[in-house]
Amino acid sequence: MLGVDERWDLIEKISKKAIKFGKYKHTLKDAIGELTVKPLTGIPVAIAVLYGFWAFFGAFAGFFTDGFLVKLFDAHWLPWLQKVFPAARDSWFYYIFVGDPLADNCFEAFGVLTSGLFVAIGVVLPAIVAFYLILTLLEDSGYLPRLAVLIDTILHKIGLHGYAIVPSILSLGCNVPACTACRILETKKQRFIMMTLLAIFIPCGAQLGIMLEVIPETVGWVILYLLIGYFILGFVLDKIVPGKSPELLLDIPPYQKPMLGNVRRKLWMRTSSFFTVAIPFVLLGVIIVNLLYLVGIIDWLARALSPLLMGWFGVPKETVGPLIAAFLRKDLAVAQLSAIEMTKYQMITSVVLVSIYFPCVATFVMLLKEGGGKGLLGSLAALVVTVFLYGGLLHLIWILLGVA
Amino acid sequence: MKDKFGRVYFSLFGLFVLGFGIAELIIGIGSRSFAWGILEMSGEFLVWRGFILFFAGLFYLSSVKNLVEIHQLAKVVMASMMIWIIAGMQIFALITESIPGEEGAWLNNWRDFLSTYSPPYIPSLILLPFSLVTIYYIYKKRSA
Repeated sequence: MLGVDERWDLIEKISKKAIKFGKYKHTLKDAIGELTVKPLTGIPVAIAVLYGFWAFFGAFAGFFTDGFLVKLFDAHWLPWLQKVFPAARDSWFYYIFVGDPLADNCFEAFGVLTSGLFVAIGVVLPAIVAFYLILTLLEDSGYLPRLAVLIDTILHKIGLHGYAIVPSILSLGCNVPACTACRILETKKQRFIMMTLLAIFIPCGAQLGIMLEVIPETVGWVILYLLIGYFILGFVLDKIVPGKSPELLLDIPPYQKPMLGNVRRKLWMRTSSFFTVAIPFVLLGVIIVNLLYLVGIIDWLARALSPLLMGWFGVPKETVGPLIAAFLRKDLAVAQLSAIEMTKYQMITSVVLVSIYFPCVATFVMLLKEGGGKGLLGSLAALVVTVFLYGGLLHLIWILLGVA
Repeated sequence: MKDKFGRVYFSLFGLFVLGFGIAELIIGIGSRSFAWGILEMSGEFLVWRGFILFFAGLFYLSSVKNLVEIHQLAKVVMASMMIWIIAGMQIFALITESIPGEEGAWLNNWRDFLSTYSPPYIPSLILLPFSLVTIYYIYKKRSA
């Protein structure tokens, strides 16, 4: 049996034989790596990267959606479907699956096979592919951990640390994997804050894609309001939720060229889950909302909730339909909002409300799974208070600006 | 000798980049647009582009003292990468805009396809070729 000193001697002997020590040469990659984590140089670079992210997202999604898929769905798919669908045009079956028989575009038809398919495949899919492609490149190049270090100080103000950027950015793609990614945060408090924030204030890629399509001129404002809300609620939750928020200890990999095979695999893995998780909910969402319209529940709810919607939030009572649809799919809800006549400011409020009002059902399940019943109830309590205060605050801002 | 060339080149280039950044910021904040010859400053992300160019210009200017030092060269590379991001995304947007056809046609005709690439251009696109000198310095450093 060796003593402590003898063991250390042995370690030294082995390491001398096994490890070759050379002179470390500081490379250009190392120097760039250092500069990207320093706030003075790192923040402008981060803004440039996020600009590139958003510009690519818009151009890529616009190319497929506006360039080809709108034409495919509106000029070919919709007329063909209206012609061959085997049901009378005034039947409920036609209404649910094809929608408005007089519609000349898939956005306004609101049938499962028209709006449902168009939203899922025509609008959301290109947006999701663009988002995950850039996310994978940032991850594999080694920039994401540096962004985590850079943003660490800011996120500490809301009880989180730099690694919270991973679920936050993932959530911009889909809230479901982002809830799972909250496991990288150490304490229960951090996980609760992160899951609540992403469920309320971070729009998913599907929603972003549809926002870019239907309200391109106001999407910047919507994101700004959501971002402000993210930090306000985070700050409040950090103050009232008991628990610890430990420091960040992070191993930063060197910058490297992303490998094509890895990028392809990750992109396929993430995009394929969209087909299994999201598309069925979009189609189910259209069926449920159309059924609720047919039996008159939407009209009844619109009448019952009109004092709240019109008086407190300042939005038209017709938004009740999209708010119900938002529980199933938020992208679908934003698409429905675009067909309702309202002012630019009402549209901003409506889209913000759809974003913060309730997590979609898939996220709801993940909140329950990851946070437990108590965590889910806590998140929902934060959500109800946030919706009323934040929605009302937006209306108040419009009143003060004289535009409501 | 080349180091002296680099110092002068990146000082002048940095001033241009900084100037364009300030101009884009001012025009963007005032919600205006500007066009002169092949140059155009307009669009929804003008303020952001101006902000990025402004800092890229500062990085160039702060790097000229002792340019051969690796951290100083890293600033030049970062500033150039910021220009490449904006210009690259603009080129990508032009490509995606030029391919689909108008009103019902799947693909664009040749005339409209080519006209998409005609001037005016945003400042980053004009600055792009001049920023490529950075690549020479990267290779020079690597081979040193």
